Amino acid sequence: MNKILTSLLSLGVAASAALAANSAITAVKVANVEDTAAWSNAKFSDVTLYPQTAIEMNDKKANELTENAKAKKAQVAALYDGKNIALMVKWADGSKDLQSGYASTTYSDGFAVQFAATTAKPQPLPYIGMGSVGRPVVVHLQKANEKVYEPNGNKDVATQINRQQTGVFGQELAEYDAKVASLAVTDYERTFVGEGFRSLTEVKDGSVKSNSSMVYGANGWSGILIRPLKDDYVNLSGTVPVSIAVWDGSKMGRNGLKNLSSWIAVNLDGQKSNAGMVSDLTTDSKGDATKGKAALEANGCNGCHQMTAADPKSFMAPSLKNVGGYSTAAYLRESILKPSAVVVPGYNRNAHSNTPWYNLEKGKRISTMTDYSHLDKATVEDIVAYLKTLKAEVE
Amino acid sequence: MSKRQLAMVMDLNKCIGCQTCTVACKTQWTNRNGREYMYWNNVETYPGTGYPKNWMELGGGFDAAGDLQPGVIPNLEADYGVPWDYNYESLMTDSAEHSHFKPHVSPTWGPNWDEDQGAGAFPQDNYFFYLPRICNHCTNPGCLSACPRDAIFKREQDGVVLVDLDRCQGYRYCIAGCPYKKIYFNPKISKSEKCILCFPRIEQGLPPACAQQCVGRIRFVGFLDDEESQVYKLVHKYKVAIGLRPDYGTQPNVYYVPPTESPAKFDAEGKIIEGSTRLPIEELEKLFGPDVHAAIKTLKDEMKKRKETGVSELMDILIAYQHADMFRLDNNYYQEVAKEQKRTPLAPVDTRYLAGKFTKAGGHH
Repeated sequence: MNKILTSLLSLGVAASAALAANSAITAVKVANVEDTAAWSNAKFSDVTLYPQTAIEMNDKKANELTENAKAKKAQVAALYDGKNIALMVKWADGSKDLQSGYASTTYSDGFAVQFAATTAKPQPLPYIGMGSVGRPVVVHLQKANEKVYEPNGNKDVATQINRQQTGVFGQELAEYDAKVASLAVTDYERTFVGEGFRSLTEVKDGSVKSNSSMVYGANGWSGILIRPLKDDYVNLSGTVPVSIAVWDGSKMGRNGLKNLSSWIAVNLDGQKSNAGMVSDLTTDSKGDATKGKAALEANGCNGCHQMTAADPKSFMAPSLKNVGGYSTAAYLRESILKPSAVVVPGYNRNAHSNTPWYNLEKGKRISTMTDYSHLDKATVEDIVAYLKTLKAEVE
Repeated sequence: MSKRQLAMVMDLNKCIGCQTCTVACKTQWTNRNGREYMYWNNVETYPGTGYPKNWMELGGGFDAAGDLQPGVIPNLEADYGVPWDYNYESLMTDSAEHSHFKPHVSPTWGPNWDEDQGAGAFPQDNYFFYLPRICNHCTNPGCLSACPRDAIFKREQDGVVLVDLDRCQGYRYCIAGCPYKKIYFNPKISKSEKCILCFPRIEQGLPPACAQQCVGRIRFVGFLDDEESQVYKLVHKYKVAIGLRPDYGTQPNVYYVPPTESPAKFDAEGKIIEGSTRLPIEELEKLFGPDVHAAIKTLKDEMKKRKETGVSELMDILIAYQHADMFRLDNNYYQEVAKEQKRTPLAPVDTRYLAGKFTKAGGHH
């Protein structure tokens, strides 16, 4: 795959920066998405990736590096053929960071593409990032890790000892080194399925036939993911909601320390698009944000939620300072009316035991947030409109 | 909290800093496959920088409100120290100019870099003692709370804290969350690893390698709910063994008998200052909290009692006559757990340490 990308970069595919954020992406139909030349037909759109700030991780240095992080622009294009869909993500990154060497504090750049496992009920889509109970997602992750040796699962202990302890020299030692090197995973590509935070599970049985790769050049990365339109996990047609995340290794990015997009509509060109979903993901909320801010304060939302960077941090509820960037209006609406529909799992309950986000009732997570279903429809729309304004500026 | 808790007590009055425990652990678990720099067991000189460097200042643990504190992930080269190796092969093959015997990196730091330095002015009032450290298998582990993947768990049967390598994605928040910095990042497999309290040994009737090899016989191993165990007696009956830095809020399950015996200070002429003691009580209070005063008093009283009457159960325990009394691994219990979990119970490889709350067999001495 690396070859394909390198030649693509040399083609100099121009990104279209003219389109507004969150516009729908058109997946161009081509004969074969694996054919490099096919990308010359691709239509790039701008997608804004916001820093994940719903919860703050416990890494002091990383938090200092990402304090008041800004949003990033990525250029995204899609292709599809009879079998596969392909996405290309290009984003600026001043340094090429690989998790490499015998070190404890290196982190790699990376990107991920997320698909909703079911779009039967598009409103609302699964929670961005990890999916939500009953609304699973498939996440394709590609990281720039140089070399990883998976823990021994095959009882091949003979290759786990250090070369000095092998008791062999010269040619035999060279052979041992070669054997060890051959066991390394040099392409850190993984697929996960998730139904909410902490449920993310790696697919290891080969049931997802995807291929992703990333190449660095000209102050940025270019990543490609190719996956089947249909497999055990997804069945993509018409309008495909996807979401993109990128990690910056120089900012100690990994896991939640990332920038991510909201759900983006990808229309498979020539197929009947899902007008409802497209409009949901591309049009602004109709409410009055100023009224919404007042309503939000009147209802005490900021008692638990951090709204802007100026507000004090809270362990009681997700910070909303970038919620407008990565959440859909439908999700925000649902969270106000039915707080337990998706409980952003946030911190381990043990980590902040006096401020539980949820309580377990019969094995189900019930949010500690009050149900605001008594609010009238217009007020809810106003609040949603205000929440949609809460996001970092683009760098 | 787990159903039962296996615990270890270390008697700091008897640690001679010989590092036999360190080597026992290293050769058993960490001399290969990316773990070379890790010391699941280390013995540091206190006061000192410790391992990793200044670990007590790197955050993690919980504050009084029970909130996990942010922490810093130590740097392998600067804070742990690169395990250097030598150019054995090139000595045989390279041309003469390259064939000096030399390390592959220039070492700038490593565990025990400041061994035996301690504090104070030599010879008047200098002091130090050895502090052996393993994972504390905490009741409220900081590493576990920090993991966003739920990849760390505490075994129900004995409270041993383990990493599920299948779920671990190498994010390293656990390292920031552990105030003792006793969980490590393995760069080769890109996952976190830590002391496993030698559970594969324990389940077969063998104490942890560090405890069995200890030449000073400072380590006791047993279940905290087993009233016959010396661990129980030291921790709960006599209350002379206390967790390290209880202020971190993780409720550690490795307990220390604080060092009570330190030499007197010298005056300017080099004469003994009668009644003085080199080890400042403030240092012990910092390490073990306010309970250290009562523990020291009990230890002194029992020592006196032993001198006067010849009888003291506590002193007999701390003399550590028999391994079979120091280690009570309750093998029958593990056999039953294995059956419950539909695993094949393993035959014990040693029959001396099998006794316990649910195991009547005492074994021979």
